[in-house]
Amino acid sequence: MKKKTHFKWDKQSISTVLYPVLFGILLLILWQTQLLHKMIGADTFALPLPGRILRIIADNKSTVMKNVNATVIVAIGGLICGSLLGYLLGIIATIFPKWGVGGLSIASAISAVPIIAIAPILNNLTKDFSNDASTRSMLAKTIVVTITCTVSMSINAYRGLNELKPFSLDLMKSFAASKVTTFIKLRIPNSVPYIFTALRVSVPASIISALVSEYFAEFIIGVGRQIRENIVLAQYATAWAYIVVACAIGIMMYGILLVAEGILLKGRK
Amino acid sequence: MRNSMKVTAVALTLALTMASLAGCGTSTKTETSTPPSETTSTTTDEVKETETKNDTKSTGDYYDADTSAQDIVKDAAEKGKVGNWGLGNEYEVQALLTKYGQSNFFLSQAFDMDGFDDDSILLASAMTYNELGLVKNSYDGGYSYGDSVKYIDMNDEGVAMLEDNIFTTREFAKENPNTVKAFIYASMKGWEYACANPEEAAEIVFNAGSSVSSDHQIYMANEVKKLVETDTLGNKVTEYGKFDDKALQQTLDLAKQYIKLEDSAAAEKLLTLTLDDFYDASYWTEAMASDGNIGTPEKTDVSIQLKWLPQAQFMGYYVAAAKGYYEEVGLNVTITPGGGDIGETTAVNSGQVDFGVTWDANLIAANAGGMNLIAVSQVYQRSGLVLVYKVNK
Repeated sequence: MKKKTHFKWDKQSISTVLYPVLFGILLLILWQTQLLHKMIGADTFALPLPGRILRIIADNKSTVMKNVNATVIVAIGGLICGSLLGYLLGIIATIFPKWGVGGLSIASAISAVPIIAIAPILNNLTKDFSNDASTRSMLAKTIVVTITCTVSMSINAYRGLNELKPFSLDLMKSFAASKVTTFIKLRIPNSVPYIFTALRVSVPASIISALVSEYFAEFIIGVGRQIRENIVLAQYATAWAYIVVACAIGIMMYGILLVAEGILLKGRK
Repeated sequence: MRNSMKVTAVALTLALTMASLAGCGTSTKTETSTPPSETTSTTTDEVKETETKNDTKSTGDYYDADTSAQDIVKDAAEKGKVGNWGLGNEYEVQALLTKYGQSNFFLSQAFDMDGFDDDSILLASAMTYNELGLVKNSYDGGYSYGDSVKYIDMNDEGVAMLEDNIFTTREFAKENPNTVKAFIYASMKGWEYACANPEEAAEIVFNAGSSVSSDHQIYMANEVKKLVETDTLGNKVTEYGKFDDKALQQTLDLAKQYIKLEDSAAAEKLLTLTLDDFYDASYWTEAMASDGNIGTPEKTDVSIQLKWLPQAQFMGYYVAAAKGYYEEVGLNVTITPGGGDIGETTAVNSGQVDFGVTWDANLIAANAGGMNLIAVSQVYQRSGLVLVYKVNK
């Protein structure tokens, strides 16, 4: 199999990075010079200029950071809890294959329930948890993210624990390895690439569900809530500032994931 | 090169795991640590409460009927249990909190009254014509509290901001003055009829695609009538939709104080706004003086974007449409209901609709952000926002 080439700065990877970056710069130039507005028929009201958006972020660093922290803690907290829970479900499904496969298909049905539907429900369910609105809102939001992250991890973990290389299970048997040894030495290492496949889906999903669950939270904080407030108040430049911040969080978390994947999966396969 | 990359990569992964562990740690910590603290707080409080409860039954949890507004606001604010929907509806509540020396903090209230019902909100925002009725009454969707709730009225507290108006863009009004005047004239005729016959108006709205029960529509129609026919000081208003400069100035002053905009350009513009920047009374004055003889409308097919779902809050427009008042002045009017996060200012500004109904504070915020919208009639003459609380029996 071909080795992963995340950190080889050869010609191909330069072009895969360079072209999108150049396209982005071109888009920014078109945007700032308002040619983009002419092309899509927008005005600077609905689509404020990048300079203005960046200035709002720079002017309100502390407020922006407060909201970013709230969103990131929820997204990462839910991502970790959801991934651990998902992996655990994958293990359980592997130990009890007859029940497990059916259970996982039900779990994947849960992922079809929209975040908009579960966020207000969880908000009501967690009301007795704490007298502090900030704490119970944080819990409600984290559970929403956990639910979205659990499913992709459980399905991928199950595949990782079961789709073994040909004959490897036979080899373990020929060594008279116990089930536990097979699990630790074969199945778990085999599932590592699948964990990253799941995380590639869950990392962006965790941020999106954190942003949406903030809409319904009792305690008003977070990047998503700020986007909503500002759009309703017709403050589009500020709303765009928070949209840019939300994008930056997503790109950064995805970048960290890719770097981690590049290192941990190096030399495998 | 590759080595250094590897080091940074390891550092980044470490950072990620550390951050995530920290996040996980705090969440589990709160999970385990808060229940005990909650139980301790409830035990100490509840011991006292149950003691008194045994004597007089249900004393102590809520407020006494004769407690002053100041004491209620202070207590609820200190407990962090004042609720509002936010999204531009919070300024009157914040002004009241400031008036009694409290911080501006409020809980985000859902569009139902469940938070008030389960006591997570002690002092909940309610519109007299909508949520207050649901809390008090026992018809479908109501919470049946009856007289066991009381409320603090923003008008009495001197922090009223005016709400439902009719607005359009300054440009549209300039280009289509006859359309604007004809629309105001027919709408006011609708409001006049609706206020004279609230039950019939409620039925018209209910048949037009209501979101709530017909009993609630009748309640709403009667309450809306009070807001249209009474000013902030409690005086009777006979001219429907007139501009009350004093009340509007108070609205603008409070808006400048409590609308917080992070965009410095918008925040600076907000402070320079005057009454003329968000309303123009001339169309209403001329329409009402015309007796219906307005010149040919420049645009005959017009639409109005409501701020919320179809309900008696907007009965004047539904009555005007049902009774043919719009046709009489040569207009073909489409009523577009709102709801949820609909941005009525954006819809009017972008030209999707010609007229809109919004609160003056929203209009002020939108104009500060760069829109050029004007109210052409001020339908509600007093604030319909109250803060409702439960009283001990």
